[in-house]
Amino acid sequence: MAAPLTLLLIVAVTIRAVLFRSSLAELISERVEVVSPLNAWKRVVEGLALLDLGVSPYSGDVFHETPLMIYLFHFTVDYAEIVFMVSPYFVDCLSCLLASLDRAKIAIGSNNLKSDLLFNFPGCLRHIISFSTCGLNNAIIALFIFCTLKGSALLSGILLALATYQSIYPLTLFAPALLFFLQRLYIPVNLRRSSFWCFTLQYAFIYVGSLVVITGLSFFLLGSWDFIPSVYGFIFSVPDLTPNIGLFWYFFAEMFEHFRLFFICVFQINVFFYTIPLSIKLKEHPVFLIFMQIAIISIFKSYPTVGDVALYMAFLPAWSHLYRFLRNIFLVSCVLLACSALFPVLWHLWIYAGSANSNFYYAITLLFNFGQILLVSDYFYAYLRREHHLTHGLYLKKKDGTEATLVLK
Amino acid sequence: MSHDFLQMHLKAVISCLLIFLYKVHTTKAGQFFSSGHTNNWAVLVCTSRFWFNYRHVANTLSVYRSVKRLGIPDSHIVLMLADDMACNYRNPKPATVFSHKNMELNVYGDDVEVDYRGYEVTVENFLRVLTGRLPPSTPRSKRLLSDDRSNILIYLTGHGGNGFLKFQDSEEISNMELADAFEQMWQKRRYNELLFIIDTCQGASMYERFYSPNLMALASSQVGEDSLSHQPDLAIGVHLMDKYTFYLLEFLEEVHPASQANMNDLFKVCPQSQCVSTPGHRTDLFQRDPGSVLITDFFGSVRKVEITKDTINLTSPVEPPIQRSGSGDIQIESLTYVDQLPVAEIIHQKPKQKDWHPPDGFILGLWTLILLVFFQTYGIKHLKHIF
Repeated sequence: MAAPLTLLLIVAVTIRAVLFRSSLAELISERVEVVSPLNAWKRVVEGLALLDLGVSPYSGDVFHETPLMIYLFHFTVDYAEIVFMVSPYFVDCLSCLLASLDRAKIAIGSNNLKSDLLFNFPGCLRHIISFSTCGLNNAIIALFIFCTLKGSALLSGILLALATYQSIYPLTLFAPALLFFLQRLYIPVNLRRSSFWCFTLQYAFIYVGSLVVITGLSFFLLGSWDFIPSVYGFIFSVPDLTPNIGLFWYFFAEMFEHFRLFFICVFQINVFFYTIPLSIKLKEHPVFLIFMQIAIISIFKSYPTVGDVALYMAFLPAWSHLYRFLRNIFLVSCVLLACSALFPVLWHLWIYAGSANSNFYYAITLLFNFGQILLVSDYFYAYLRREHHLTHGLYLKKKDGTEATLVLK
Repeated sequence: MSHDFLQMHLKAVISCLLIFLYKVHTTKAGQFFSSGHTNNWAVLVCTSRFWFNYRHVANTLSVYRSVKRLGIPDSHIVLMLADDMACNYRNPKPATVFSHKNMELNVYGDDVEVDYRGYEVTVENFLRVLTGRLPPSTPRSKRLLSDDRSNILIYLTGHGGNGFLKFQDSEEISNMELADAFEQMWQKRRYNELLFIIDTCQGASMYERFYSPNLMALASSQVGEDSLSHQPDLAIGVHLMDKYTFYLLEFLEEVHPASQANMNDLFKVCPQSQCVSTPGHRTDLFQRDPGSVLITDFFGSVRKVEITKDTINLTSPVEPPIQRSGSGDIQIESLTYVDQLPVAEIIHQKPKQKDWHPPDGFILGLWTLILLVFFQTYGIKHLKHIF
């Protein structure tokens, strides 16, 4: 296990190093599918330069990273490439770990590593050389999942707080983590049991406490609360409408001002809305719930990039055993491939050639998100169907003996 | 009879003496006023563009410097420079134009008034300046407002050939055009006497065609010869001056407003041993003897001086103002020249960029927390590995 993993990592490092040095890096680091105003490296450098000139980096609309990121990049701004090369490894290792964990349940061989790399390639390739801090965010989420799976509530709470501090959406991962710990500690999820509340409060205390500590600490970095409207206000109120692969920009570009608040609320609630129903449905399967939550965050967040897509795509090999139950895999893969190819084409046609307009790009955005949602729901269906087969057998029969099919309702 | 003869002889002698005295007197006075001009003008033209023609600009500016030093004011000088060498981006010493190597003499400065600059130096503009046929909107500084009592110095430098002078690398003026322009000036009584100096290759060809009176011409080389440049400066990277103008400048540095040096000395400037090319001159159209023509007739400004041998008493000197004590506290300082601000206060320097460092409390707090979490998760037993 260790030797192939090391070999794989070395190969990955080489490929990434080669790509970093190529001229492709600059080309890709400016593409809107890859960098967003939240995590563009250019903005980080700009913010640090402003800081060197004695100006708060949050003045003006250029810098939207958290103060801890300032602290981190202050030392590594010359070695940015190394940071960006190292951070996606966490995601790699985690997916291997997930695969190995599920191996205990299903006994599949180590070909998971190969599929892991295969899945990593299309998604990660673009975002790793994009010089965006998305890789770091993904690394934190991956570390959080790792600590959760290892069972350390303290570390998991702290890392979740860190992930929430970076962008608010990992807040929804609180529920699956909690469910995982409850399952691990054999505490039944019963609202009337005191043990449930005891542990929940403990975990919540760790989470909220570390969040407060981190926020307070970041106040002391620059001595002001400027970062809160700059980072969190920016994420929530979506003032920047640069086109990306998400759904917010087109809609809000044509929105009348007096409807804007209403639709901001609607769109943002959409991210958090699926937590409760999914938690209720998947309360015995918190790992899959984490995957679903991450996918939903990646689809519905305000400034998605291919980095977010790559995060949940990296976990797909862990559910390779669901392959036989997937119904739309061909359609989804075609849609995603076609959209990936069409994004730069239509961007060029719109911005440079002038023969298309924003509707073209938005159509591809819609199609891409449709493909993602289809993928997620397909995996959901496959997971639930497998669970049903585990309890009711593989060949289902209706009451009159004919073959039955399962339908997700 | 002898008395009459003696009387006649005496009369003749006296008249001869008188005439002689008168002649002497008139020659002295005549010498004093023999030049016949009342004002001086100078038209100094550099026709070459581009950095490697630095020497032509330096030539023109050297003559400008001499002419100004000897008294001709800027209002009487039309300076035409086809390119800006002082502020050229290739000039390693910006705002300077040197005429001696090792940067001994800077002929540029903030008292150099260029009237025609850059692309304004064209054949058409030059001829219009000479003939006075300028549009009514032309400012006075760009006009040659000479009259029939003006002595004009015209200095041209650049790249030339047999019968032409190149302007701006795109057009040329021929010797015939120049001769016709001078004839126009003569017809319009725009000059009293005109000294024409040209420092180009085959420069003598440019004055071959003159036909107007009162023209004297000098050239740095004969037809078929090239005028050579003098010294390159290794720091600036170009030749700084042409040989002829260099020695002309050296000669003119010796001249002061009261100097009696005449044109014959000017003709001797830069013999072939120094200049390699043979300087030429033309004086046949000039009515006076060149030996009687002072250098300052053309290079300097005329000064009418009244010589008197009487002592003159100026009025009694003004008494210094009575010091008002007034209220003893307030000491009114005598007005002195305003103290200059130190340069650092005038020139706002870019604030030195200080690198931002995170505050120490933050670093302390952060790493304490990290260490706490680490030990909480992994236990105290690792502590002994660190210490």
